[in-house]
Amino acid sequence: MMTIVLTALQYLGYILIFPGFLFCFVIGMLLCGIDRKIVARMQKRVGPPVLQPFYDFFKLCGKETIIPAAASKTTFLAAPLVGLAALVVLQLFIPIHGFSAFSGMADIIVILYLLLIPAMAAMLGGAASGSPYAGIGLSREMVTIIACELPLVMVLLAVGKVVGGDAVTFSFSKIANYQLANGSLITHASLIPAAIAMLLIIPGETGNHPFDTAEAETEICEGLLAEYSGAPLAVYKLTHCVKVLTLTSFFAALFLGGIGTGIVVVDALILVAICIVLTIVSISFVHAITARLKIEQVFKFYWTIVTGLALISLVLAWYGL
Amino acid sequence: MIMFNYIASFFLIALGFYTIITKYNLVKTVIGLSIADYGVNLLIISVGYNPGGTAPIYTLGELTSASYFVDPIPQALTLTSIVIGACVTAMSLSLVMKLHESYGTLDTREIRRLRG
Amino acid sequence: MSFANFLDYHHFPVYSIMVLFLGAFLIVLFGKNKFMRNLLAFLAVSISLACIVALVKPVMLDGEIIAYWMGNRAVAGGYAIGIALEVDALSLFFALLISTAVFVSGIYSLQYMEHDNNVPEYYTLFLMLSGGVIGLVLSGDIFNMFIMVEILTFAAVALTAFRNKAHGALEAAFKYLVVGCIGSTCILVGIIMLYAQAHTLNFAQLSAVIPGNMNNATKLAFALLFVGFGTKAFIVPFHPLAADAHGAAPASISVLISGVLTKSGIYGLIRLTYFLFQTMNLGTFQFLLVFIGSVSMFVCVTMALAQHDFKRLLAFHSISQIGYVLAAVGLCTGLGFSAGLYHAMNHTLFKGLLFLCAGAVLHQTGTTNLDELGGLSKKMPWTTGLFLVGAFSISGLPPFNGFASKWMVYQAAYQKASETGNIGFLFVTLIALVTSVLTLASFVKVSQSVFFGRLPAKYENVKEVKGGMIFAMCLFAILCVVTGLFPSAVTKYLTEPAARAVFSVVNYIDAAMGTGYAASAMGENLPVVASFNFNELGYWSPISWLLILCIALLAVTIVAVSGKYDKVSESSEIADSKYDLFFGGEKSVYSQVGGGDLFWGFKHNWRHYFSFMHDLHSGIVNDYSLWAIVALAIVTLFIQIVL
Repeated sequence: MMTIVLTALQYLGYILIFPGFLFCFVIGMLLCGIDRKIVARMQKRVGPPVLQPFYDFFKLCGKETIIPAAASKTTFLAAPLVGLAALVVLQLFIPIHGFSAFSGMADIIVILYLLLIPAMAAMLGGAASGSPYAGIGLSREMVTIIACELPLVMVLLAVGKVVGGDAVTFSFSKIANYQLANGSLITHASLIPAAIAMLLIIPGETGNHPFDTAEAETEICEGLLAEYSGAPLAVYKLTHCVKVLTLTSFFAALFLGGIGTGIVVVDALILVAICIVLTIVSISFVHAITARLKIEQVFKFYWTIVTGLALISLVLAWYGL
Repeated sequence: MIMFNYIASFFLIALGFYTIITKYNLVKTVIGLSIADYGVNLLIISVGYNPGGTAPIYTLGELTSASYFVDPIPQALTLTSIVIGACVTAMSLSLVMKLHESYGTLDTREIRRLRG
Repeated sequence: MSFANFLDYHHFPVYSIMVLFLGAFLIVLFGKNKFMRNLLAFLAVSISLACIVALVKPVMLDGEIIAYWMGNRAVAGGYAIGIALEVDALSLFFALLISTAVFVSGIYSLQYMEHDNNVPEYYTLFLMLSGGVIGLVLSGDIFNMFIMVEILTFAAVALTAFRNKAHGALEAAFKYLVVGCIGSTCILVGIIMLYAQAHTLNFAQLSAVIPGNMNNATKLAFALLFVGFGTKAFIVPFHPLAADAHGAAPASISVLISGVLTKSGIYGLIRLTYFLFQTMNLGTFQFLLVFIGSVSMFVCVTMALAQHDFKRLLAFHSISQIGYVLAAVGLCTGLGFSAGLYHAMNHTLFKGLLFLCAGAVLHQTGTTNLDELGGLSKKMPWTTGLFLVGAFSISGLPPFNGFASKWMVYQAAYQKASETGNIGFLFVTLIALVTSVLTLASFVKVSQSVFFGRLPAKYENVKEVKGGMIFAMCLFAILCVVTGLFPSAVTKYLTEPAARAVFSVVNYIDAAMGTGYAASAMGENLPVVASFNFNELGYWSPISWLLILCIALLAVTIVAVSGKYDKVSESSEIADSKYDLFFGGEKSVYSQVGGGDLFWGFKHNWRHYFSFMHDLHSGIVNDYSLWAIVALAIVTLFIQIVL
């Protein structure tokens, strides 16, 4: 009985504190703060303090929530919560070096679909608000997802092929174990194009510059979020931050596994460091030097250049190079 | 002799399909279906034909191993097939009638509200 | 015959078919009375379902194959002269799907059709259609299969044209009739050519005799039968018919057309390719099925993205999902069959649910045009919720059932690719995954254009549908969730026995023809049972996943509520009426993006493809007939070359 309670508490701890909710909250916000700071410095601005996302979040939580008369109330309010919860669950499945909160259950296909849930939730929430801006935002968000999906799938298949050999695998724990035994996958020559493709996919999935057409605050008033205010908006902002963390740690788990000590706390710190670097490389640098693309350009970019890179990787991995 | 039947039946089926594809009149399409159906019936009957066989009508006890008759099963099948063919014709003609009422034409090129 | 004898489960297959036909005739006689009519229809569908469910234990779990000879005319002198019903796990699996869909659709019809004219005729045709499909899957006689195909085609055509005042109903019915008849003609010619070679119509005996004696005539017969059943499954290039027929038929019939008719086509294809011609280990034939499956998947999902009509969009999705089934079944691995059958089942459930939702919208608003509808979620909350369950299921979001089966399809295709070293199967996985996202996209489009967005003024007074219809939709929704939450149980008790049945042709033959017949008739051609494993069914455990999600959701909710999440005020409380509609703009500048233009960024890049496809689906019946004949020619050539 005692052990059951303890196990339950342990898993509850995983879900709520590390690597679940609290971890996602703090590190995600931190990543976004760093991103904003770096972009500002690159643009010769002072920029906000690194903790600015925290301030924004708590400030927003204290504000009034206004629900438009045309909105469907339940969907409108529930959507942000579902999206955030799905992302936290996703983070639980991503192994940190040898440690994985729910080992054995993780699977890259599951993760692929879990990544869709926050976007889906945001789209339904936006649609439920009844705003025309949200309608346009929804359209663009969906197109961005379609654009990212093809190269992302190819990257994942390539990784699965390299790890599994003849018995290709979708299992995340196998990918992690392979890297523990054989070193990071980034050293694998055939996966380098895939890693580059993945770096380009991260800003698309998180909706950062130059792929933030779905939010485009200057033309469609943040699209899906146009009607949101107060706490639900804060949850959306938080979801965005957690998504940055999730995708960067996803990258780390796919390509930079095997770097670590075996002590969970140290590994977590290493992961955070890796995530910061990845955020700076794939989000901040790209953000600072590009302007927003049109939606059809986003689509074209992903289905030509990024897909091309991923395809090269896939074919190379397929023929065992 | 029976070869001629086979050739004729496949010719009829092909002719029926050709009619369906090339004729833009709904009634002709229905005629095409019927022609193909006649082809099939001819084929079924020919398959069961044994040269020189008698009609397969025997009572219990009459049947010996020396009896030589045409295969009765395809004839039964043909009856079914004819019935089905009649149903097809009836149903499609009633549809054609209704179509003519609501579209005012029998040209298949103009009966295409559902497309794309 | 004693009463206990009467209740012997060996008779149940016959009952399940007969009771539907009997119901059809009785409704013709007594259908004028509304109560009688509803009672008869309800009794017929529920007794049929009960008979099928009662067979689950002996057939699925104990592995018995029921061979039932009408009038006790069993095998004599090595020839099957009687008319047989043969029920193995594969037949029963499809019968189970079909009778479930028929049952739910029947319940839904009770209220859905009450304002139509000629309701007795509707029920007669409905029961004929159901009986035809169940008869098709339980039949052990190839000519009986043809008869059943004809019955269900006629019933389906008549039901498509049932609301003959509706937009395009007659036209759809006519096209369906013409191309359907081309398919039926192909089936009949194929059957006759087989009969000429083997002198039997019994399926089991044909399966024993034909594979060892292949010649040009049997190959042509194979091609004809393949195309014939292909038209029943509406695979590419027969998909325009499905789209037309679904769009025009009443929603309860669309459920049957998509969930039941296409399944019967798939069933026919499986029986044909793996039993009658035993092409299990032929790589080239696997290629044909997987290729058709992938093309169906992709072409139909892109066609669906371009649609402006709710039901037409669903119809294209239906064929897209059938593509998954066909591709998975074509892989010829244990996992592939399991995945394909699982997806077939899920397709019946979620597509049934979605069609019923579309029917509810049509029933209350009188239209299914995506460009006219909007904002119904406030008026029809139940329908909206149930629609979302269906949409998530078909897009494969966890934990709904679509995810479980799609996961298996991906895994099966990818495994096949690495086992055979053939990169083609890899692209099947890719197409399947991309199709899944495009499916999600078009359901986002539907939810935006029908249930969310702005409510047009003319629908201000729309009400939620009645309880009976909601009940029917709930049945499907519950089944969607349950089959999604317990994938291991579903695979163990339903799909795995059915998949095993595909691999045990010899048992199927022996059950009908007597033990040892297969060995003696086929000699050295006795099919080697392909190795198959069901091990890779996945470490995916939806229950624990759901638990985690719930806890996380709870945690998030608590935090959110403590952060004044509940401190909401509706903007109607704001005095200024110009904010009535929404907060971020004014009523006067409102214009909603039309459903057809929603994914402009995607369509713009694919505009040549889309305009090409639009021109291709010309709506002229001659073109569709031409496609059918060309498909027949190609398949004939292919089979002559490879077999």
